[in-house]
Amino acid sequence: MTALRKYVAFARIAAVQAARGRGELYGRMAFVAVILGVFSALWKAVGEAGMPIAVEMSALVWYLAVTEWILLTPAPAYVDIEADVRRGDVAYQLARPASYLGAAMAQGVGVLVVRAPVLAATCFVCAFAVTGRMPDPRSFVYVVPFGISAMVLIHALYVLTGLAAFWLGDVSPLFWVWQKLLFVLGGLMLPLALYPEWMQWLAHGTPFPSLLAGPGSFVLGVGSADAWTLASRLACWAVVITFGALVVFRRAVRNLQLHGG
Amino acid sequence: MPSLPAIRVKELTKTFRVTRARPRSLAGRVQDVLAPRTEVVRAVDGISLSIERGERVAFIGPNGAGKSTTLKMLSGILHPDAGDATVLGHVPWRNRSALAFEIGTVFGQRSQLWYHLPARDTFALLAHVYEVPPDEHRRRLAALTDAFDLGPFMDTPVRQLSLGQRMRAEIAASLLHAPRILFLDEPTIGLDVSAKAAIRTLLRAQSETDGATLLLTSHDTGDMERVCHRAVIIHQGRVLWDGSIADLRRRHVKSKRITIWSESEHLTLDLPGVRVLAARPYYMEVELEPGTTPVGAVVDAASRQGVLHDLAIEDTPLDEIIRSVYRDAEARSTS
Repeated sequence: MTALRKYVAFARIAAVQAARGRGELYGRMAFVAVILGVFSALWKAVGEAGMPIAVEMSALVWYLAVTEWILLTPAPAYVDIEADVRRGDVAYQLARPASYLGAAMAQGVGVLVVRAPVLAATCFVCAFAVTGRMPDPRSFVYVVPFGISAMVLIHALYVLTGLAAFWLGDVSPLFWVWQKLLFVLGGLMLPLALYPEWMQWLAHGTPFPSLLAGPGSFVLGVGSADAWTLASRLACWAVVITFGALVVFRRAVRNLQLHGG
Repeated sequence: MPSLPAIRVKELTKTFRVTRARPRSLAGRVQDVLAPRTEVVRAVDGISLSIERGERVAFIGPNGAGKSTTLKMLSGILHPDAGDATVLGHVPWRNRSALAFEIGTVFGQRSQLWYHLPARDTFALLAHVYEVPPDEHRRRLAALTDAFDLGPFMDTPVRQLSLGQRMRAEIAASLLHAPRILFLDEPTIGLDVSAKAAIRTLLRAQSETDGATLLLTSHDTGDMERVCHRAVIIHQGRVLWDGSIADLRRRHVKSKRITIWSESEHLTLDLPGVRVLAARPYYMEVELEPGTTPVGAVVDAASRQGVLHDLAIEDTPLDEIIRSVYRDAEARSTS
């Protein structure tokens, strides 16, 4: 219980900082508005040009609103972890009676608590403003919990990327590659159903579709039967990512204890 | 039963393998990638020492002497290659979590305060991290706020604090859980004269109040003289001196420095053991070897040549003494 309170305190202080750092939040809100405005205009132009698209334009905008909400909410924890490793601060944080990894995860959750509702409201208002329509309200029952679960996993992947700094020093190339894979294989702009079959098959071998396309597809009319599939996929990837982060962190600490840093 | 020392270190050794680049040529760079050339550096070389509870010890050494490596081993962050150490009865690298509750750390070039938030928020976080009961936290925070005069900036974001204010908050943060040992790595680095004086006074007073053991590394001899009573000088990973600062002065002060401002334009002090360091019209600076001419005789000789306007008699500064300890060690190792 005391240990749990410790990590709740980490989450709380990160939430306080996220709430006070309004500039960044406003920036993300503005970005969502611009992206949804641009893509709604694009889908509209595509429709007017008579190009065949299997999904309705307004549904595509709502889909994009959900994937952008998931993508823009987590803080880029890899930047802080890389800085901690580069400056050697991580060694000193290990001297505290709290897990560095646990604290990093808790802080990410704290940021989500503040940003997720604000960005959700922004995405909702912008998507409604540009489409003038709303998806089936029941879809939000799935979008919200799956979206938040996906954000936690994206944060865990940011942490895992940051931990690579113990070996790579600079993790920005690694981040750049996996972020682009997340955009493409996760179906950030378009539902995976619109991808060629071989690409869908490739994407489903990665965690990315469960993080973006999975939660986003509920606004396209996907129902409760698919929710179980998505829940099991997210649970499996959560286990894999958690295990990976623990192994990488233990190796990094061992390396640090033996060889300094 | 006699109490255990706060810190006991025996033959502690730590080596690092560091990469050495080859000459800057294409072939050298390719070789550096394919088969990096490495070298073993002995950062800590068989250090032994014992520090009693409540002692305030300065850990002195030039850059790369092994001070920070030793502190990291004592706080459990680094594993030694050989040797033993116990800190408050714990082997640091085996019981790091348990030890963490009993030690505090202040690293002058690093911060544990949340940069965009007031220090109060970090203090609340640390109370949870160190599992300090709420009543105890309130009492302790009030005492530290008072002692460190944190009240006026307690609710100001850390990024808006001066370096001196930030360091006071850093030290208070490290003391919140009432650690029995405080490791301080250059706590006054970058501070102005008055901020340094304030930090030194606070550290000393807090150690006397709490009975906490202090182990302080610094390049500033003022930190050592005003906070500590004992010095451990290390160089190239080895202990060169371990004893009181007063003893260090007694054993290594090889001269006194006398500065004279006189009415006489050209002073002449041709006395045994007196060496002229600087001479200008109406001014002379000499070094006096102890056990030769008494100080009074030098002053008498100067005053006979004209009225003395001013006079300063100083011991060799501590940093000069420390440099001479390093020089002696280097001379011994080369011979």
